[in-house]
Amino acid sequence: MAGKKIDLDNPRLRAALPLIGFLFMIVLFTILTKGAIITPNNLQLQLSQMYMLMIAAIGVFFIITMGCLDFSQGSLMGVACIACCYFSNKNLFLGIIMGILVGAAIGAINGWLHVFMQIPSFIVTMSTQFLFRGVVQFCTTKAPVMANISMMKLANMPFMMTVTVICLVVAFFFFRYTSFGANLKAIGASERGARFAGIKVTKTKFLVYVLAGVITGFAAFINAIKVLSVTSTGGNQLETQILIGLVLGGMPISGGAKVRFSNIVIGVLMYRFMATGLVMVGLTTQMQQLIQGIVFVVMVTLFSDRKSLAVIK
Amino acid sequence: MQENKVLLRATDIDKQFGITHAVDHVSIDFYSHEIHALIGENGSGKSTFTNMLTGIYTLGGGSFALENKTIQVKNQVSANRLGIAIIVQEMGTLSGLTVAENIFLGEEDPFIHNGVKNTAAMNKKAQDLLDSYGFSRIRANAIIDTYNFEDRKLVEIVKSTYFDPKVLVVDETTTALNHSGRVELFKHMRRLRDLGSCVIFISHDLDEVLEMSDRVSVLRDGEYIDTVNAKDVTTDDLKKLMVGRELGEHYYRTDYGEKIPEEVAMKVENVSVGNEIHNISFELHKGEILGIGGLSECGMHEVGKACFGASFDRTGSVTLADGTQINDINTAINHSIAYASKDRDNESLLINDSIMDNITLPSMRDMGKVLSIKKLHEFADKFAKEMSTKMVNVDQFVSELSGGNKQKVVLARWIGKGSDILILDSPTRGIDIKVKADIYALMDKMRKEGKSILMISEELPELMGMSDRILIMKEGEISGEFLRDPQITDTALIEKMI
Repeated sequence: MAGKKIDLDNPRLRAALPLIGFLFMIVLFTILTKGAIITPNNLQLQLSQMYMLMIAAIGVFFIITMGCLDFSQGSLMGVACIACCYFSNKNLFLGIIMGILVGAAIGAINGWLHVFMQIPSFIVTMSTQFLFRGVVQFCTTKAPVMANISMMKLANMPFMMTVTVICLVVAFFFFRYTSFGANLKAIGASERGARFAGIKVTKTKFLVYVLAGVITGFAAFINAIKVLSVTSTGGNQLETQILIGLVLGGMPISGGAKVRFSNIVIGVLMYRFMATGLVMVGLTTQMQQLIQGIVFVVMVTLFSDRKSLAVIK
Repeated sequence: MQENKVLLRATDIDKQFGITHAVDHVSIDFYSHEIHALIGENGSGKSTFTNMLTGIYTLGGGSFALENKTIQVKNQVSANRLGIAIIVQEMGTLSGLTVAENIFLGEEDPFIHNGVKNTAAMNKKAQDLLDSYGFSRIRANAIIDTYNFEDRKLVEIVKSTYFDPKVLVVDETTTALNHSGRVELFKHMRRLRDLGSCVIFISHDLDEVLEMSDRVSVLRDGEYIDTVNAKDVTTDDLKKLMVGRELGEHYYRTDYGEKIPEEVAMKVENVSVGNEIHNISFELHKGEILGIGGLSECGMHEVGKACFGASFDRTGSVTLADGTQINDINTAINHSIAYASKDRDNESLLINDSIMDNITLPSMRDMGKVLSIKKLHEFADKFAKEMSTKMVNVDQFVSELSGGNKQKVVLARWIGKGSDILILDSPTRGIDIKVKADIYALMDKMRKEGKSILMISEELPELMGMSDRILIMKEGEISGEFLRDPQITDTALIEKMI
């Protein structure tokens, strides 16, 4: 055995590595763009593109912590956003609530199929991704669904930032300081072991899918503020962005005990920074995708929790 | 005995699992024309050693040389090609395949012509082999699942001996076989020896060891202790070598004739679970250790699950002293029932999680809605230390602990929860003797504190040494009951089992 082996199971290293990667990325793109990427204007623009992703990532984070997956978040966002925009024309709050309800309903469908019909979550959410993408396209065939134009005044940094931070803080509190987080991690570590420790595994899993739908349904409102209308591609590829983000943040894709809440924040910031950086460097869309793909594969390989041997669900 | 030459030389064999040193630089010479027994307590490294020889585990260090040539074993198939075969302790045949496919697993090439497998030829060859072994009632073309555990073991015997391997490992196979199965196995072990092969024989039954083997090597805590000639020693000598000291008198409980308290803690009535157990009824008293014994397939392990509310499709009732019905795990935990499963790694514990999480999970519900990480930490630390768990700190992952320390974490969890009724399934399985003694002492202490313990065990000395009462199960039903008595013998218990 030549050379010193880097132990990625060391919790400190696991926590530090994404940060180091982020710093490296900042330095790299600052040099490549000759500083253009860190001008205040540009940073503000990047932030404005981050809010929705950050909030939606929270729900998926919970799901992956349990060792499950969710590929339907993009379509879910699309449908929820349509509901939100449509009803916001009657009443702003009704819009928010309808977005959340639609999100919850789709989450419940995912959860029901996965937990009670016992279909692997990967297959379930792949299917519902297509299903609800179809719904989005059907609803937007004639024209994009327009939101209440007065929502535009909410599209300012203080409001968006406050909402995002509140979401993160509340989620962090429940994840870290109540048995909720411990239960999710336990389910991710071993479903059977969790059941024998008295955790209501099926109920928890179902409710977390609903919760993820609620969270993304709320993120749909944030999205509506920014874009003010939904087209057939609304929310497209959100699931991939979330997944890349979480993995960049150092989250093991099989969930379990090594998951940390900071994975969301660092990961999403890093993803936005990388995506913007690649555009500003002047790469073609194809090249951007290629590079993102490579980074994703490398990070998944680095952070996979192979020792747990669990089948990815 | 014929002239012996070294057939297989193991030099400096080593293996670590995390911090556990499972096999510690072991060197042994195995001769041709011999049956060489390998004995030691649970966890002494016997199976790990032979698993490295047969390619089930990768070699941690050292080397094996077969007929003076160092061998590189990648997996079981490559071991077979070198002439090394194993009959394993657990199920060694693959479900869903036919008997013939199992026998020729990895050796299908002779039956394949131009990419097409000649199934008929394979079945015929397999049936001929089965017939020649006298197992004609096993059909080569049948799916292996149609046969019971014992017949599947017989298939394994054929699979690992038909090609006359130079080295055959028999890993605790005899416990799975009935008398006639054993006779068959022993016949083929002797046949191979007479052919000049070496049979490495792992068994816990020391009488059997002395009867069958020529030489006996002893391992203890992963270290090589000694090799002796079987005809020069007695079972007591072997025990001493295995344990490293004379077994103390106070290993098990020493009291006899104590009255079992009248008060009933848990009442089990007409409990059935699928085909596993039928109409089981018994009462567990306060302050009593109730042992349940039997063969490993007799359904006794399911009884533990049923009492914990963990069985699917259970009928009948489990009632506590206050009238509470136990139908699910949560009610069980909330009403002070603890359960340590035989399947420690998958059910008792979350091995890919920290010691802290493992200990605190069921107790979190008692610590208020908002949890303090510091308190959780202190809680876990307190009970892990109370059990004298060998660990770095409570943030360490359970997967890095040895079997005994894992079990200590399980017990720490339930002691922390303050459970009054403990269902302990195979509490000392795979645990070294020191921790074993700790666990027995703890059980005795809890009994005196008025807690009730339901101990399910496959080990007779443990049942006889620790229980106030023993229930023996056979084919899913209770077949006998014994009260604590120094006069009880193994034979009396075994009679009720088979």
